[in-house]
Amino acid sequence: MQIKPDVLFLVVNFPVTNTIIATIISDIVIILFILVVNRTISLKPNPLQNATELIVDYFVKTTKEIAGERASFIYPWVLSFFILILTSNLIAQLPGFESIIFKTSISKSHKVSFLKAASSDLNLTLAFAVTSVVLTHYLSIRCTGIKAYFARFITFRVFPIFLFVGILEFSNEITKIISFSFRLFGNISSGEKIITTMYNIFSFGLPLPFMLLELLVAIIQAMIFAMLTMVFMHVMTDKPH
Amino acid sequence: MEIIQKFGFEIESFLFQIVNFLVMAFVLKKFLYVPLKKILDERKYKIEQSLLESDIAKIVLENAKQEKKRLLLEAKNSADVLTKTAKISIAEAKEKAVAETKRHSEQILDDAKQRAAAEFKIMNNQIEKISIDVSRKIVLRVLSDLFSDDEKQKLISQALKKIDEKIKN
Repeated sequence: MQIKPDVLFLVVNFPVTNTIIATIISDIVIILFILVVNRTISLKPNPLQNATELIVDYFVKTTKEIAGERASFIYPWVLSFFILILTSNLIAQLPGFESIIFKTSISKSHKVSFLKAASSDLNLTLAFAVTSVVLTHYLSIRCTGIKAYFARFITFRVFPIFLFVGILEFSNEITKIISFSFRLFGNISSGEKIITTMYNIFSFGLPLPFMLLELLVAIIQAMIFAMLTMVFMHVMTDKPH
Repeated sequence: MEIIQKFGFEIESFLFQIVNFLVMAFVLKKFLYVPLKKILDERKYKIEQSLLESDIAKIVLENAKQEKKRLLLEAKNSADVLTKTAKISIAEAKEKAVAETKRHSEQILDDAKQRAAAEFKIMNNQIEKISIDVSRKIVLRVLSDLFSDDEKQKLISQALKKIDEKIKN
């Protein structure tokens, strides 16, 4: 049982891993979903549009409640994180993940699984965490201005405590990346390992409660990532006191 | 760096995931959030518009109710005036009819009285004639036994003369 994703094949020296395949599958699912919703979009919504509207409206309203008029900048990113993480987490619960195993020319000796939960790859969670933090800073500069943005980290006030606060603010950003990426990565990969272990112990029925738990974890983790991004974006786009 | 490489960090995969996220975020925003937000805003606008129209309709309905109330009151007043006028007219007509009837009945009564009086006079005359005739017959029968024919004739002549005088008087 390994934490790293398995490389299935190379495309011009680019290693295509099983998590990248899972990411592409979740992308295709999202694009198909968008096409279906867009084709039938109308003022009288069908159940699918209704459900999508419910999610979009919830995020728009929540962002508005937290960030006020800056919500229009924040909610598209937050919602994108939520949809992408949720889709990749839910797709990982489908049959075939971690169960289609074969040997490849790259793996040579050991067997590799064809599909692996995208969020159990640190590359994805770290990429999302870095993107979230970078976007937060970009929006902070856009909303508060470059001067106010730098004033958060560098201050020319007399008391040395303010310099310390600036250093803390900077280290806080690094911590955000680590907590964002390892929280999602840890939860999903550990869940995946638990289910695989349960399958190996007794395949019939035993993994079922854990799978239900993983469904809950999938939703909660997507929600946590999105909500934290929303809060951080709100804090950083607010003028410093 | 070594630690995260133990967890499977690969710069190519990492960059791929960033690009993938940005592309997907763009696609989601352009083809999902914007159309849905537009629909949501349009629906919200329509609901607000409908509520506004409903408020206006409520005001119009209230006005109509007031107008109806006013018209009903006006009609009631008109009906009251008409009823009063009609009652007065009926009373006048009744009074007139009663007076006319009274006058007519009095006239009939007068006519009847006059006719009765005339009838009474005629009857009186006839009775008088009959009584004279009866008296004459009685006198003739009584006198025929007491007097001779000449005396009878004299007395009769005298009596007749007196009767004639009396009648003439």
